[in-house]
Amino acid sequence: MNCENYKKLIGKYLDGSINDAERTALRAHTQECASCCAQVHSIDRIDSTIKSAFCPATATSQASDSILSKLPATAVRWAPRPLFTPQTALAASILLVIGLLLGIGATRITAKKRPSAKAAPTVPIRVASLRGTVLVKHQNSQSWYELTPESNVYLGDTFHSAAKSAFVLELEDKSTIELNQNSMLVLKLYNGGTQFHLEHGRLAATLDSPHPPFVISTPNGRVEALGTEFTVTVE
Amino acid sequence: MPNACNLTTASDEQLVAATLQGDISSFGIIVERYWNMAVALALSKIDDLVAAEDVAQESFIKAYSQLHRLRKASSFAGWLSKIIAQQCVNTLRRKERNEIISSYETASPEVLNFALAKSTNPGLTDEQTLFVRRVIRNLPEKFRKLIIMRFVAGLPAVQIAKQLGKRPGTVRVWLHRAYQILRKDLAPILEELE
Repeated sequence: MNCENYKKLIGKYLDGSINDAERTALRAHTQECASCCAQVHSIDRIDSTIKSAFCPATATSQASDSILSKLPATAVRWAPRPLFTPQTALAASILLVIGLLLGIGATRITAKKRPSAKAAPTVPIRVASLRGTVLVKHQNSQSWYELTPESNVYLGDTFHSAAKSAFVLELEDKSTIELNQNSMLVLKLYNGGTQFHLEHGRLAATLDSPHPPFVISTPNGRVEALGTEFTVTVE
Repeated sequence: MPNACNLTTASDEQLVAATLQGDISSFGIIVERYWNMAVALALSKIDDLVAAEDVAQESFIKAYSQLHRLRKASSFAGWLSKIIAQQCVNTLRRKERNEIISSYETASPEVLNFALAKSTNPGLTDEQTLFVRRVIRNLPEKFRKLIIMRFVAGLPAVQIAKQLGKRPGTVRVWLHRAYQILRKDLAPILEELE
């Protein structure tokens, strides 16, 4: 093999696809060829330099023990019930048809009773982090409660962050919405999905890439996200 | 210890499946496998080593609690790297907010960065460590992740491709390009180390 062939092996050495026989052959060649030896040496030096510069202070076994001790006991098996599965969608459409057949009068009565009888559905959104005092008011309720990281999030919730307070909501697709201090955010139902309505204040959203159309509504108009990170301010 | 040996050589898919069945020690192996990579990914965005380790730790805990949402267990490291990136953004935002709220200034940014860059590894000086991290940070995002997966986690290009959901050929090309950039940018340090 001439140097040209060994260059392929050096490429394989760099991307980690070199096998033992090829490695031995390359090592033997580098004993004789200064140019190839320098190239292999350069890869090794960069490898060790990066490893050194990014070496953690905590050893892996120690980190593993520490993390395992902090893991929630049951969280891994817990799976949030999806809001709209094919079954629930089918059941909802059957109920809708029955409701229509029964007549508008009857549906009006049930519609009037429903808000007080049944709580708003939870949405697959969770409180990822929280700082200071954030209040939440559920739909059809006049009381404000203090939001905690464990709180469930319901459709129709209104969040109010006090001064020097902020919190982050994490959506199902890992996108996050961070509400800054002195802000009010309402989760509204819009076209069957959750619509974020910023009543006042400031929010910063970080979306997964690529993401489906994502809109924030405000009293002054609707803002559609084009990129993955954006901020909306309502004075 | 034949069992421990089997566990450490088990694939990510096997470890994720075992974790989902309640075997917490399997998740411990996953942490050991990717701890260095996780800290490095965090360090490529955050100067502070302590904060970076906190981010790595939080990311593993988050990954554990959302493991049932991972669609392809073979891309665990790629998925984890996304969680880490998100946690870094949150940490930097929190830091930014605290800096705005707090009016105390204890040291100039340069002095602070230099202090934060301290490495526990005797191979490089603090200045060299900071320099290497900055070089990696200046790489395009796709190269940065790739370089850390290859050199810190020791994953071959084929596995990185699986983790990131890319074609092996693409990853190889990116890796070679990133390596050429590093060779040029790290030249001063490499000369010093000679």
